[in-house]
Amino acid sequence: MNRFWVTAGAILAAIIAQVAFAPHVALLGVVPCFPVLVVITLAVVEGPEVGAVSGFAGGLALDLLGTSPVGVWALVLVVVGYLAGLLQENIFAEGWLMPVTVAIVAGILAELSYLVVLQVLGSGPAFWQSVWTVVLPRAVYNTVLALLLYPWLARFLRSDRSMKSFRRFA
Amino acid sequence: MKVTLQDSKRGNPVLLIALIVASLVLVTVYFREGDSGIVHKMRSGVLEVVAPLEKVGDAIASPFEAMGGWFSNLAVSREDLDALRAQNDELRARLAELEEARQENERLRQLVEFAEERKFTKLGARVIGRPTSSWDGVITIDRGSVDGVEAGMSVLAPQGLLGQVFEVSSHAAKVRLITDQRSGVAAMVQSTRVTGVVKGSIDGGLTLDFVSTEEAPVAGDVIITSGLGGVYPKGLVVGDVVSVEERRGALFPRIKLVSRVVVGQLEEVLILVGVVVEADAKGGDGE
Repeated sequence: MNRFWVTAGAILAAIIAQVAFAPHVALLGVVPCFPVLVVITLAVVEGPEVGAVSGFAGGLALDLLGTSPVGVWALVLVVVGYLAGLLQENIFAEGWLMPVTVAIVAGILAELSYLVVLQVLGSGPAFWQSVWTVVLPRAVYNTVLALLLYPWLARFLRSDRSMKSFRRFA
Repeated sequence: MKVTLQDSKRGNPVLLIALIVASLVLVTVYFREGDSGIVHKMRSGVLEVVAPLEKVGDAIASPFEAMGGWFSNLAVSREDLDALRAQNDELRARLAELEEARQENERLRQLVEFAEERKFTKLGARVIGRPTSSWDGVITIDRGSVDGVEAGMSVLAPQGLLGQVFEVSSHAAKVRLITDQRSGVAAMVQSTRVTGVVKGSIDGGLTLDFVSTEEAPVAGDVIITSGLGGVYPKGLVVGDVVSVEERRGALFPRIKLVSRVVVGQLEEVLILVGVVVEADAKGGDGE
């Protein structure tokens, strides 16, 4: 139950940060996406099940905050959260570089998948223009934030386990 | 020490499929239900909850942004000054050519003001939320249904047309900017009265579509709303033409515009609460 509340609290904090903080740290019109960062971190730390469930919750919140069809972010983050958890489980078990790499790749995958689903639904913007003006810049921004936030967030989320990997960061 | 939590990290395909199905159901319901459906109402409810958070975030960030802007202005002021001097020289040279257009513009402004006085009631609102995602060109204002705001109302900034209210809660509303990729504005070239459609894009730019090469405007032309379609009232300034690019094999040239409204610096807006009588698709209360 305790871990449930920590997970729920992390998602809620990410949503509040997205609403109150993210618009004010936009660079050249690129707004970071904190719920995506948190969902991926949860997936990497806790595994695919938590990744999928938190992806659904975080994605639904993003859907309700935005103007695109409701359910698209939920769909994307369910799959990306699950895959990120599986990748971390099956390929990388320790070290800091690989989890961060997973977080970065999953972040890019999330933005790109969102664009593709919008295209499929017929509500998407011009594809390549979106890739150059939103997907890639946002991925770069999220990557920088992931490098800064991931070790601290992961350490907080798994504070009940001893980890050599993150001592060098936090 | 190796992290070993394999038992709790096993994938659960059933859970994954269930959540995917739930997401797809949400998408389907969203498309099938009307604006008064449960999913749409959930959005209004969320807007009601997050509006105070946006207001708090805006209040906290404002001093820092102002300070940043002050330092930024200090750093580039000399460069800006040189650029402005050059621009001023150019504008002086073009003043004579534009005199006629200016007079016409003045007449049209008087007409617009006359029309507004006759048909519209304006309601001031404060911007409390900036776009929370790069995918959406949407801002939040602190007026809602209790103030008489309804979806579909036009929103103005001092410099021109800003957008349209598309979602309303009790004490807040979301405004879709004309630069949003889902926006479309029936517009016309002020000097030639040639009509077209101004569309937003994902990068926040504006284009004027469906204007033939022969009738294309030139850089500097003012684009105003045409009133066609009844979504926006006629005569509101949409933006200025910055470039006209011929495209081989295309029916229409690529006409790029720039909005006069700087959304990042916007603090107050005006909502046209009274709706155009002859063009109101929703049958709202005209004055």
